[in-house]
Amino acid sequence: MKKVIELKGVTMQFGGVTALNDVNLHVNEGEILALIGPNGAGKTTVFNVITGVYKPTKGDIVFNEELSVVGKKRWQITEAGIARTFQNVRLFGEMTALENVITAGDVRSKSGFVGSLFGLPRSRREEKANREKAMELLKFLGIDHVAHKLGKNLPYGDQRRLEIARALGTQPKLLLLDEPAAGFNPSEKVALAETIKKIRDAGYTILLIEHDMSLIMGISDRVAVLDFGTKIADDSPQVVQNDARVIEAYLGVPADAS
Amino acid sequence: MDFSVLVDQFFALTIDGIALGFIYSLIALGYTMVYGVLRLINFANSEVFMLGTFATIITSKNIFGYADDTEPLTGMKLVYTLLACMLVSMLVCAITGVLVEIVAYRRLRKTGSNRLTTLISAIGVSIVISETVRILTSSAPANNPRLLDKIYLVSYAGTEFYIGSVRIPVSAFEVRLDTLLVIIFAILLLFAVDRFVKNTRLGKGIRAVSMSEQNSQLMGVNLNKVISSTFFIAGLMTGAAAFFYTTVYESTKFNVGFELGLAAFTAAVLGGIGNIRGAFFGGIALGILEIYAATVFGTQWKAVTAFVVLVLVLLFKPNGLFGESLQQARV
Amino acid sequence: MAINIRDKGAEIWERSPKPARVAIASLTMIFAICLPFFGGTFLNTPISSYEAVLVYPVGLFVLMALGLNIVVGKSGLLDLGYVAFFAIGAYTMAILGTTTSLNFWEIMPIGIGLAMISGVILGLPTLRLRGDYLAIVTLGFGEIVRIVALNTMAIGGPNGIANIPTPPKFLSLEYTLQNQKAYYWTVLALIFLVIWMIRRLSTRRPGRAWESIRQDEDVADLMGVRTLKYKIWAFAIGAAIGGAGGVVFAAKSMFVAPEMFTLNTSILILACVVFGGMGNIWGVITGAIILAYLPERIRFISDARLLIFGLTLVVMMNLRADGILPRKKREKSLTS
Repeated sequence: MKKVIELKGVTMQFGGVTALNDVNLHVNEGEILALIGPNGAGKTTVFNVITGVYKPTKGDIVFNEELSVVGKKRWQITEAGIARTFQNVRLFGEMTALENVITAGDVRSKSGFVGSLFGLPRSRREEKANREKAMELLKFLGIDHVAHKLGKNLPYGDQRRLEIARALGTQPKLLLLDEPAAGFNPSEKVALAETIKKIRDAGYTILLIEHDMSLIMGISDRVAVLDFGTKIADDSPQVVQNDARVIEAYLGVPADAS
Repeated sequence: MDFSVLVDQFFALTIDGIALGFIYSLIALGYTMVYGVLRLINFANSEVFMLGTFATIITSKNIFGYADDTEPLTGMKLVYTLLACMLVSMLVCAITGVLVEIVAYRRLRKTGSNRLTTLISAIGVSIVISETVRILTSSAPANNPRLLDKIYLVSYAGTEFYIGSVRIPVSAFEVRLDTLLVIIFAILLLFAVDRFVKNTRLGKGIRAVSMSEQNSQLMGVNLNKVISSTFFIAGLMTGAAAFFYTTVYESTKFNVGFELGLAAFTAAVLGGIGNIRGAFFGGIALGILEIYAATVFGTQWKAVTAFVVLVLVLLFKPNGLFGESLQQARV
Repeated sequence: MAINIRDKGAEIWERSPKPARVAIASLTMIFAICLPFFGGTFLNTPISSYEAVLVYPVGLFVLMALGLNIVVGKSGLLDLGYVAFFAIGAYTMAILGTTTSLNFWEIMPIGIGLAMISGVILGLPTLRLRGDYLAIVTLGFGEIVRIVALNTMAIGGPNGIANIPTPPKFLSLEYTLQNQKAYYWTVLALIFLVIWMIRRLSTRRPGRAWESIRQDEDVADLMGVRTLKYKIWAFAIGAAIGGAGGVVFAAKSMFVAPEMFTLNTSILILACVVFGGMGNIWGVITGAIILAYLPERIRFISDARLLIFGLTLVVMMNLRADGILPRKKREKSLTS
């Protein structure tokens, strides 16, 4: 089974603070791996080093077993096939839903500035194809009915789904979801879980940060746990749920023996 | 390019550079403190400086009644006249600074406008002030009466001697009273601000806000008070600089703010924007660099020096010598 | 304001069938072309020649405001040294016009090219900087260009360059000092070209890239947008437009000097963009026309012109940061 992304001995230090400490982590192709841990454990930092926002102090991050993403530019990493959503919704608020996704799809276009200016055939073809694909993605996420509404005017649930649609617009191999269920009520969370499974079934590999345990247990193939920048568990959901160290990290007291 | 003058006058020029540098440091404080709390380049600071120079002259001419050809003063009269001019300049700048914040920036801060908008508003204010003064003065320069005589405390003309056929120059060295006073008072003021920010409650509030606006409010800091105080103190420092400048250079004009403001801003960035100690070092460094560059390349290239330094610092060491980095992505 | 003028206009445009649109566009263009003939009406300017005013400041300010709009309005990059590109275009015309036998039409592409190269050279190191710092550095660039021109005797120093030749006759149009119509129509042609170009680019990948950079550059980066590349393109196109304007300016004024290219001009153009409506072509054009024309028409405010611009900036930013014709609020498309 191919490792779509692998963190090898990744350490991330900011001045005196060690956000990630010798983390070894990988996600297999077609898997849904959930990354959990108490607040401040370093989960979003993992996303940030993978996507090139930060350069790890030590260690390597390998994509698809062939490309080291450390030191690459952010757009290059996206072009390689990694996309993400954000903890706080960060849409292009003054663009429509459709435009958000089309902008993400531009990374796959080969036509350049001149082609766009003079309306060369390849540019026009790519525009049309991009637009159609974007519309499909909106349908896939169930938000095609708001395709022409501005991002900032969408209801919260639609915004969250648009973020996912936009990330998918870059045609990634690996999708990073940062707390996609934040602010959702239970029925919305169930719908989101179905959507994430649908995305995985369509061929994407997913690395997911979440706090809602039932959501995670329901859809994850594996769960990795971070605490103060160190990975303390990495196994199937059932095993991790009962791991004493994990329980201690969250609750702060040793689990009762009986 | 003429290095001979630089070598022959090295010490004298260095002292001039240090004095100029202290003036820059004080104005740089104006930029750096405001940037620290608001993350905003206070464009209007250069015009506040300009107003201070005019305030100094208005005090000595209109309030005390001295004229261009007045004999220099001595004794107590000299001391209290100079002090009065300095205090007036400082107050005028401080109050103007606070007013600028209220009129041009406060509303934008409240409505969460983006930085482009606030920056443009700052530029607008700067233009309004300088244009108003231009129209009122009809672009004419104003001269400061020489109340403090240009007395040389130490004056050494420099010499040269030869080892074989190699000429070894010994630089001229001179210390003027006014230059020395500028240096002494500037050090005192910078020290005072440093202590203030470190030890007083308001000073700590300023530091808290520059680290995190949200958190400091949660800790009970009165944001408006802190911000107004920052502008007030920044204005006091700029006003002192204006007084020193007017006393040493003896003349001013409506557009004096632009070049000096730019140099002071460069000094702030060089030392690390937002960093008060950095403003001190940045100012001195830039003052000396500018004097040297003017000597070697000619005075018409003085303004370019500041820009070139600025661009180089921003490209290669955006943190400045001591300060924060401006390039962190916010994700 | 309850009614968004621009959206109302856009609504009417969208609802009209194709023939109506062609009619509206043609009428507007014809009106613009005929403007020089209204000199005898209430539009007349008391002191300068009406036709000359149409060329500069009105026409050229509109052109430059459109150029700066791509940089500031669309991409969100604060450029305070825009006059530098105008100066480079003008000096190119001045130097080549007086020392070689090239004529205006041959010099124009050279002027544009040099301005573009300067834009790229300026942009490469500086466009990595965050907003405020970019502003200062571009301001510095503008000033450096002026100071270099001032101190370089080979290109005239403070006295500048005079006797720049006027463009040769085009078809049957003569470019003369007395009759400025030909200059005006040349500028107008450039304006039409630029408008076409901007509208083209806006609905395609470059326009989307610029918008995403303006709205949230960090996220744009992570969505695969080549932010540095498009920022440099924005600078380059803006510079090209400024340079083109400069070439026309030099040919019309027949004389250039460093004092004509000051920081004030950069700020004036910025005021046009801000006042009119950042990012919005029609707003920017309206803003430029108003701010360029009024001081000529109402002479007593001419001396206080810069003061009024400063006030405009402060007032507009505080009360109506979007300008008088704001950027679209309604869902108009960034795709064709």
